[in-house]
Amino acid sequence: MSAADLAALAPILILALGSAAVLLTGAWWPRCAPLLWGGAAIALAAAFTAALYSPPTLEIAGFFRSDGYGRFFTVLWSAVAALTLMTSLRYAEERHFEGGEYAALILFGAAGMALLSASVSFVGLFLGLEAFTLVLYILIAFHREDPLGAEAGLKYLVMGAVATGFLAFGIALLYTASGTFRIAEAMTALGAGAEMRPVAMAGMAMFLTAVGFKVSLVPFHLWTPDVYQGAPAPVAGLLSTGSKGAVFAALVTMWGGLEVGRDLLEPLLWALSAITMLVGTFCALRQENLKRLLAYSSVVHMGYVLIGLLAGGADGNGAVVFYLVAYTVVNLGAFGIIASFSREGGEPQNFEDFRGLGYRHPLRCGTMAVFLFSLAGVPPTAGFIGKFGIFYAAVGSGYILLALLGVLASLVSLYYYLRVIIVMFMSDIAAFPLHRGTFSEKAAVGLCLLATLWLGVLPGALLDLITRIL
Amino acid sequence: MNLLPDITQGASSFPLLTLLVAIPAVGGLVCFFLRRHAAACRWLSLISTLVVLALSVVYFVTFSGQGGWLLYEDYPWIERFGIRYTLGLDGISLLMILLTALTQVLAILVSWRRTFELPLFFATILFMEAGILGVFLALDLFLFYLFWEVMVIPMFFLIGVYGHGRRVYAAVKFFLYTMGGSLLMLLGIIALVIIHAGQTGEITFSLPALQGTVLSPETEWWLYGAFLIAFIIKVPLVPFHTWLPDAHTEAPTAGSLDLAGLLLKTGMYGLIRIAFPLFPVAAQASLPFLAVLAIVGIFYAAWIAFAQLDAKRLIAYSSVSHVGLMVLGLCAWNQTAVEGSILQMFNHGITTGALFIMVGMIQHRAHTRDLDSLSGLWAKAPILSAFFLFFALSSLGLPGLNNFVGEILILIGAFQANPWWGILGMAGVVFAAAYTLRLVKETLWGPPDETPEWQDLTPREYIVLVPLAALVLWVGVYPAPFLEPIREPVRLMLEGGIFTALNGGTP
Repeated sequence: MSAADLAALAPILILALGSAAVLLTGAWWPRCAPLLWGGAAIALAAAFTAALYSPPTLEIAGFFRSDGYGRFFTVLWSAVAALTLMTSLRYAEERHFEGGEYAALILFGAAGMALLSASVSFVGLFLGLEAFTLVLYILIAFHREDPLGAEAGLKYLVMGAVATGFLAFGIALLYTASGTFRIAEAMTALGAGAEMRPVAMAGMAMFLTAVGFKVSLVPFHLWTPDVYQGAPAPVAGLLSTGSKGAVFAALVTMWGGLEVGRDLLEPLLWALSAITMLVGTFCALRQENLKRLLAYSSVVHMGYVLIGLLAGGADGNGAVVFYLVAYTVVNLGAFGIIASFSREGGEPQNFEDFRGLGYRHPLRCGTMAVFLFSLAGVPPTAGFIGKFGIFYAAVGSGYILLALLGVLASLVSLYYYLRVIIVMFMSDIAAFPLHRGTFSEKAAVGLCLLATLWLGVLPGALLDLITRIL
Repeated sequence: MNLLPDITQGASSFPLLTLLVAIPAVGGLVCFFLRRHAAACRWLSLISTLVVLALSVVYFVTFSGQGGWLLYEDYPWIERFGIRYTLGLDGISLLMILLTALTQVLAILVSWRRTFELPLFFATILFMEAGILGVFLALDLFLFYLFWEVMVIPMFFLIGVYGHGRRVYAAVKFFLYTMGGSLLMLLGIIALVIIHAGQTGEITFSLPALQGTVLSPETEWWLYGAFLIAFIIKVPLVPFHTWLPDAHTEAPTAGSLDLAGLLLKTGMYGLIRIAFPLFPVAAQASLPFLAVLAIVGIFYAAWIAFAQLDAKRLIAYSSVSHVGLMVLGLCAWNQTAVEGSILQMFNHGITTGALFIMVGMIQHRAHTRDLDSLSGLWAKAPILSAFFLFFALSSLGLPGLNNFVGEILILIGAFQANPWWGILGMAGVVFAAAYTLRLVKETLWGPPDETPEWQDLTPREYIVLVPLAALVLWVGVYPAPFLEPIREPVRLMLEGGIFTALNGGTP
């Protein structure tokens, strides 16, 4: 590995070394809040490095991209880590989390996500994916006194282990068929005339299964609501944004210009997208728990993103990347609000806990309403522009039926998002007041709100940036 | 046809149209943050709506009698998709702007004495005003869609938070119904833009540019259908009207006022400004079907209205019936009828708005809207009753009052287009007399009940009602100033050239 490679890897190194530093510091000086602030500062440092330093090389050792695309996601996931740490400050302190370990794990997870998003080789992809999955195994069950947390952790561990098995086996088969780990070249083994096409296809099917687990596509989504419900709210935010977004970021590189094997993969992805949107939507209708609702909502959103991926081309890939940003900002904010409401006894999760809360905590409930409208794709929010981009790409590539299904899912989804808003603002009986929230929590949520509205009204800058990096 | 000079004259450096949208939006934001200062919010809201009203009156007086596009603004917005921020004002939008500005001032005034979360209430009204004004001004389809949805969210909260009875049910029904239509429209917009981009290589959402898209008949029908459903849900035409009675009935007075006066008009406006010009062939072919729906709506809604026991519900159904007549006027597709329809959009806003306001006043005093319980108001509050009678007579189309002018123009035009339409429309007006007179009879006449004395109109209520009554009389006696601005745009629309001037005029 040359010096240039190391320089290109600088943001990731900052995250990983910073993670180690925070961990060691925590061992000698176990103070929760300063360690978490320190972790946030490290994440921001990584984000700024990635944003400002443009390395001369475009690839690192043939594993990862260090071009604009890779750096874009490094910035995004580092910012996500920083915001997650900000919303975790009080949450972690009240539950007596080990600050050093917690911050270190989140930073390391961000490094994994950044690597996965930038991967151009199956080895890099596997490394990145496993790095943050390992982190999440621990983080989900981080609150040891919470039985739901332990259950969620175990569930994610079992599902994750199975998915890892599929992933490794799928990669092995693709390698067998193509003789290379480089994703772009390995994909040629899927081509119509390729010698070992069936093997490659089996590999791709296993790969898809693993991906389906990670981003919770139906029928691999069953772990999602339980894990979201049991995980600490800030971790659930990280889980629903970074861990899924990074996988899709890698898929854009992989399938962005998918020409070979399209004939076989297209109907599969089409069906996955349709069934994910429909099943997710109808499951979400019956939820009485906000975190479970957000879990099913994330299932539906992954279905939308899949439409963009399927459409491909500049329009489709751009739509996917924009959608990931919009979805990340909104979901992080929504889970941040849940964290900011949490008390030592637990988090408010059930709709009952939010009854009439709009008048006790108007700013945060109003913000939550904006986030929910954004998830529903109502203007003027980031979610609307994202959905618009997806539908635009879908209609442009001739996926009219899929776009119609998406519209139908959006319409039904409005109903379950409205239910939360109704509970908060339109019920007569008021629930008990919740925690007033701290500065760092409100600042993190406020940033997400600002980004949601900014991207909804003036998305031009981000859209142009995405066009440039793709 | 010297329309180009008008545009250059209208393209002033100062964004006069953005001002219209921005004032209420900023006012709404400030109200949102001054949640604890009800008094300040009251005056702030009143002043911002009054400024918008003053501006629109100034535009109305300044541009009276000029054809073409009076004001025009165009800035790049989201260049990746060729989306521009384009606002334009012509005679049709001018009349609608005036109606919106006036209605929102009244909405603030009738809600003056509310107590529960008043700043947020006014914030919703102001946000809604911004959205509705945007709908009436937008000439870029994306921008139009944005405003179209933005105006629905405040109404959802207005009904759901501040409404009566089954408010949540009504609010959700309203929201889902309109969203269902508009999401289809979004797909239609995207498809149209992509087809246009395929033909010209230029991605644009500009209405004038998209009008030139060449569509195969089948595609045109699909796209027209997507737009049509969005608009006729909002109008609403039978059988897409079922959200309306619930929403109107459960909404607070200001909400009913905005729904009947403004939101229904956005549907009609969408037909006139967007659906018909973009898809002329399909639109022409669909007119007879729309006319049938409209006529069915006139009679069906009148019949249902006659059977209502709730005064507000009766007026809500009367709205559906009146709107049917306006759509019939559009379907006649000639100068007289379309002018009548657009004037009637204005009239209906004034008259039905006034009736909803008065039912609100009666409910405030009697604590009921039930026609069986109300009786003998004339003896208890003669001035209030006189106003009520006046607006009711206007609603049933008494000659000399505003609705008569619009209705007679529609009926003459419809008779020219198809005598049967004229005859059936005329019969519908007779039905209107039946339910309106029943409303009057049940409330005003009869022996007064035993409840204690009522206060007759308060000064604030005079301030609300007198201008409305004056307008009713003015349009009824001398409608020319209101017909003049729409004459030229209607003529251009019928010729299919409403955007021709803009096509040549935009950079």
